Order: sequence, then C-alpha cells, then structure tokens
Amino acid sequence: MRPFRRKGDELVARLEPAEARILALLLDQLEQLLTADAEDVTGDPVLDRLLPAGHRSDPELAADYRELTESSLRAGKADDLATVRAGLPPDGGTVRLDPEQATAWLRTSNDLRLALGTRLDVQEDTEPPEDLASEEGQQLAVYYWLTGLQGSLVDALAAGRAGRR
Amino acid sequence: MAGPLAPTRTPEETVEEHGDLDRPWVTIVWNDPVNLMTYVTYVLQELFGYDEPTATTLMLQVHEEGRAIVSSGPREKMEHDTSRLHAYGLWASYQQDS
Repeated sequence: MRPFRRKGDELVARLEPAEARILALLLDQLEQLLTADAEDVTGDPVLDRLLPAGHRSDPELAADYRELTESSLRAGKADDLATVRAGLPPDGGTVRLDPEQATAWLRTSNDLRLALGTRLDVQEDTEPPEDLASEEGQQLAVYYWLTGLQGSLVDALAAGRAGRR
Repeated sequence: MAGPLAPTRTPEETVEEHGDLDRPWVTIVWNDPVNLMTYVTYVLQELFGYDEPTATTLMLQVHEEGRAIVSSGPREKMEHDTSRLHAYGLWASYQQDS
C-alpha cells in the first residue's frame, strides 16, 4: 500500500492486489450485516456498535431515537459503501478520490475498523499481532492495515483543511 | 379538589418524569478503543465547526476522562447531533444535563 496523500484537490493512494481483494471482501461482509433480517442479527455486538443507542438510560427515548434516525443512518452507510466499492480497483492499483468520495471512504473504513475491532475485542492496549498463522492474528493484521489506510486519509484531509485556513 | 377517580400522580412525580424544562440537553461523545484520536478531532471540526485546538481539547477529554459534552441545546437538536456523530461512527448519546 502507498498510503493516502493529497494531490491538488484529490486524495490518492495505491493498493496491492491482495489489499484490494481483502477490502472488497470486507465491504461485502459489512453490507451483509447491514442488510440482514433483523431477527438474524438482533443483539449482534457489531451492529449495536454501528447503530448505537441514542439515549443510554431511557429505553423510551432510545426507541424514539432509533425510529427517527435508523433508516437514514443505514441509507447513509449503504451510500458510502457503494461509493467505496465504485472507487476500488478490483485488482489493486491507484485509488483517486474527490473530497466527497474521500468522506465516504473515511466513514466506511471507520465502520470496518469498528466491526473488526468489536469482533476481535480490540482494546486501547491491543498490540499488532506477532502470530500471523492464527486466524485471529490475520484478522488483527487486517485491522491494523485498515488503521494505517484510514489514518493516512484522516491526516491528508486534516492537512488539506489546515491549508485552506 | 380531586375526586376518587382522579390520577394519583403527584406534582413531584410529574417533574421527575418530564425532567426539569430549564436544564439543557447535551450531546456526549464516549471513549472507545477503536476510533483514532486524529479521526475524532477531525470529525468534531467537521460537524460542529470547532477550530483545531478546541476539537483537540474535546478529543483529549474524551480520551482521558471517558466522555465529553460536544454540544448542548434543545432535545431535537441533540438527537440530530447524535445521529450525525453516529454517521461517522463516534460513540455518542444525548441526555438532559445533570
């Protein structure tokens, strides 16, 4: 991977073929989770993290909030996901994003990190894996790879904003 | 004078149930182990128009104290702010200020 950098108004990165395939797979999995039948995913900790309660102590307010916001939050995530998928070269290569596409990549890569981080029970002191032979080690490596990708995008966007001031 | 069929709810209970109308509502961001510090700072600037030092201070408060109030106002506005933060994956909720 060549991490995201700003080139004029665009954010540009380069992905290896294997990285592009892994990202495409993660997008499919996120989409499946977000479009699953409610009864199949009730109480799923990842979904609870992606669509959290709006109010922590009042179930009535939390239900109101969900009714008011959930469908638009889901629609926004679906739009972002479609944008990322459209900009992802399937066999690797250059990713070139305008500011609007960059925001979709920012949110979706964060959702993927939240999903993986929740599944793997990542804590603040979790270290990158040493054992890449285990499945958990490989998933944690993917999590840290996503962290690098998203981190470079945040930094490039933040530097661009500082430059406009 | 209330008859035997009148509701037995006392004024005190009513206040408790509906909350003190004078207390503002707030939107809170909670600490979580996944969101990058740089990302939280960026999102707070993006959504609330905070300058970089203010957003950084709020982010550090989330990180070190476990939570920070990022906006306050009417309940509907706080619902909206919470949903905008949820769209970015920040761990947020709204409540009446205590």
